[in-house]
Amino acid sequence: MRVLWTNIDYAASVVLFLIGLYAVIAKGNLIKKLMGLNIMETAVFAFVMATGIVTGGDAPILGKGAEPPFANPLPQALILTGIVVALSTTALALSLIMRIYERHGTIESDDLWGVE
Amino acid sequence: MRRALIIALLVLAAVPLLFGVSQLPPIGSTGNPTYTHVVPRYLEEGAEEAGAENIVTAVILNYRGYDTNGEVTVIFTALVAVLGVLTFAKATAAKSEPAEETPVPAPPMPVSPVTRFIVRILAPFILLFSIYMVIYGHTSPGGGFQGGTIVGALLIAVSLVSGSAQAKRLLPERIRPWLQPAAVLAFALVGVAGLWLIGPYLSFPVEGELVFLRTPWLTIIEFGIGIGGAAIVASIFWAMEGSD
Amino acid sequence: MTRIFDILLYALLISCALMVIRTKDLLGAAIIFSTYSLVMCLVWQLRGSPDVALTEAAVGAGVTSVLFLITVARTTRRER
Repeated sequence: MRVLWTNIDYAASVVLFLIGLYAVIAKGNLIKKLMGLNIMETAVFAFVMATGIVTGGDAPILGKGAEPPFANPLPQALILTGIVVALSTTALALSLIMRIYERHGTIESDDLWGVE
Repeated sequence: MRRALIIALLVLAAVPLLFGVSQLPPIGSTGNPTYTHVVPRYLEEGAEEAGAENIVTAVILNYRGYDTNGEVTVIFTALVAVLGVLTFAKATAAKSEPAEETPVPAPPMPVSPVTRFIVRILAPFILLFSIYMVIYGHTSPGGGFQGGTIVGALLIAVSLVSGSAQAKRLLPERIRPWLQPAAVLAFALVGVAGLWLIGPYLSFPVEGELVFLRTPWLTIIEFGIGIGGAAIVASIFWAMEGSD
Repeated sequence: MTRIFDILLYALLISCALMVIRTKDLLGAAIIFSTYSLVMCLVWQLRGSPDVALTEAAVGAGVTSVLFLITVARTTRRER
């Protein structure tokens, strides 16, 4: 338990991931499911960034007035790509939801069973 | 009953996850495996090798340039898919079955004069700041995609305040198909130039007489990402709004 | 000292996420989602990465929330 207190950044991102997963599984509305998916994505970003924390570290920009230790620049570069990909999938999913509503008149997943 | 079952299942899934998370090395120390493998080389030699003082920009554009190439392709593909779903489907549906779908209401929204005034006053300064962020991306926080998204959000704000027809004049119809793939084209240009001059695709000169090419190449890529990002974000917004 | 601030921000994040999935009004859920994105941007800034904070503020609180609002405006507003 005490080790979990030291690694509380990881534990918070695990809790956020499970909240998003609950929204994807248990909610019926398609827009609510998509918000849950987005929460899951940002929780994973928080987890990967937490591996790059350096206590007392500056931003990794060399120049005047910057002194070591620096924060880890490698997870930051990976998360920048991840944020752009999350935006792309959210935009495509939202346009698909709009088309489903125009065609069937509903966006509740319970009513959409078995339609073509 | 169903909700209680799902919550119980998630609590059951949380136990091994939290156990695994507590076994990771402690947060914040510089002796972590993620910090000692390849990052000291990036921090010490990144400024001379990559020509950028912002190490994150150096990692994105130089050390992990292929990943950024894939990322701009992904967001361009998302734009193509959104346009295909929204405008193409509407065109074929209008041809085959004209009166079977739920009509989508689009009432005009009144905008308060305070919002309109503030957006109109602040728009040139926001544009100037985003161009500054794109240009100075390798010596201060910023970069290509940050500036591009801010210009895209500015176009969205102008479109909400003054109407889409007026905002679309800022990105004319004739040059819009050339602005949207600007990021992919910039990467292809720099990559083929590297292939022709040096060796592998998208290679940067480290030393020798071609070192002066590094800064122009980085600037071309950053401007390409900025312009492409702005055009793609604004086009996604206009396609979803349905005023095309 | 900064750990207490971190823990407060995490508590705010978790409560924002819980409120997003509890609200039945989809317009309110989109706005709370924008707040969640803003608090996440503060978390990035505290971890020493201004680039990621800028991108998250522009993309999450700017573009994604506007796209959600457009979808809610063109489909239903209340969840059943």
